[in-house]
Amino acid sequence: MPTKLNYTDSLKDYLRLDPTIEGNVVRELNTHLEDKSHELIESGLSEEEATATAAKLLGSPRIVSKQMYEVYSQGSWRQALFAALPHLLVAALFAMHFWQNTFWLVGMLGAITGAVIYGWCHGKPAWLFPWLGYCLIPVIAVGILLIYLPGGWVWFAATAYVPLALLVIFSVTKQTIRKDWLFASLMLLPIPIVLGWMLALELEDKLIWQEQLFEFASLIALSFAVLALTVVTFIRIRQRWAKVGALLTLEVLTLVMIGLGGKSAIGFGGWLILALLALLLLLGPALLERKIREADRKPLKLSNKSTR
Amino acid sequence: MNYERELLKGNTDSLLLCLINHQPMYGYQIIKELGKRSNGYFQFKEGTIYPALHRLEKAGLIQGKWQRLPSGQERRYYYITQKGQKALAERLTVWQDFATAVALIMQPATG
Repeated sequence: MPTKLNYTDSLKDYLRLDPTIEGNVVRELNTHLEDKSHELIESGLSEEEATATAAKLLGSPRIVSKQMYEVYSQGSWRQALFAALPHLLVAALFAMHFWQNTFWLVGMLGAITGAVIYGWCHGKPAWLFPWLGYCLIPVIAVGILLIYLPGGWVWFAATAYVPLALLVIFSVTKQTIRKDWLFASLMLLPIPIVLGWMLALELEDKLIWQEQLFEFASLIALSFAVLALTVVTFIRIRQRWAKVGALLTLEVLTLVMIGLGGKSAIGFGGWLILALLALLLLLGPALLERKIREADRKPLKLSNKSTR
Repeated sequence: MNYERELLKGNTDSLLLCLINHQPMYGYQIIKELGKRSNGYFQFKEGTIYPALHRLEKAGLIQGKWQRLPSGQERRYYYITQKGQKALAERLTVWQDFATAVALIMQPATG
């Protein structure tokens, strides 16, 4: 029954739910198609006509998936706050000038590692992805620091560290996109912000950097508080388009804060590059998802052909 | 037609709760039963029933369970929960008060 298979495939493409819920939804709609087809066959239609009519009467898989997504896409306030917690911790780090406090830093690293391991082993819920983003940031930060170090470190960074780091980031992002590209956008959300602040605070001069860190600590804290607000909004909103809108709007707002802070050390050109990077990290996963799904479907089509 | 659609939209949850309260049912059975009991008045778009059922389930008003039919096929039956029964009772009271008030205004005066 190709129509039933097509319907199920389209449904799976648009659903983007937790695998257990998704399995139940697809199975339930399949039983509906079976019942309806059976009834139509009894009324005199051929099997092919009955299957096509049943799928048509059930409605567009895109609309059914969208409505089903909106049922399950809203997280609770507790989930929203837990998802925003890593951004709030970073905001507190700067608001209270704790970045030199080893106890606080070790505690934060422990909390991030613990939350990521727990979330990864428990079905990758939506709250995991902001925490996961903070696991990627040290990888990027070390790369940037290596570039600024004197001697042969630049070569080490360019030839070994950066390609390896990019490979790790790409691999994690790809796995996240397989669940839902929006989660990848959520995960990558702080990268342009961290990068922006590192560049805006003139990293090459340690003395200026320390001074500026003190001067702009409250603005940095505010930018991470905005990120926390973005995450809460993302988790609480039901509609996908509104989730994308919240990510884009609040990310741009945070970038504007960086542009206005840091004594404009990055300049307009640098800010524009940051804004483009943010856009790429937020919307790029959507394009990657399409490519990944097309690549996944190819071997399936080939195996279908070979079984015929 | 828009008015009718809005009325139906606002009362879909109550209709579903009422049917499931009468006896546990699965999606396709609910669609058939809605048409039959309303003498064909309620013709839902089939795909819209399932999101509504899942919304009620997520709210804890009903619970879905897979069950095997005598034919060997499996269907997802929905059962009303205690929370669902309470919500239905509240909705029925509101609906009856509302219907009485509307009838008092809209029906032509007799006598």
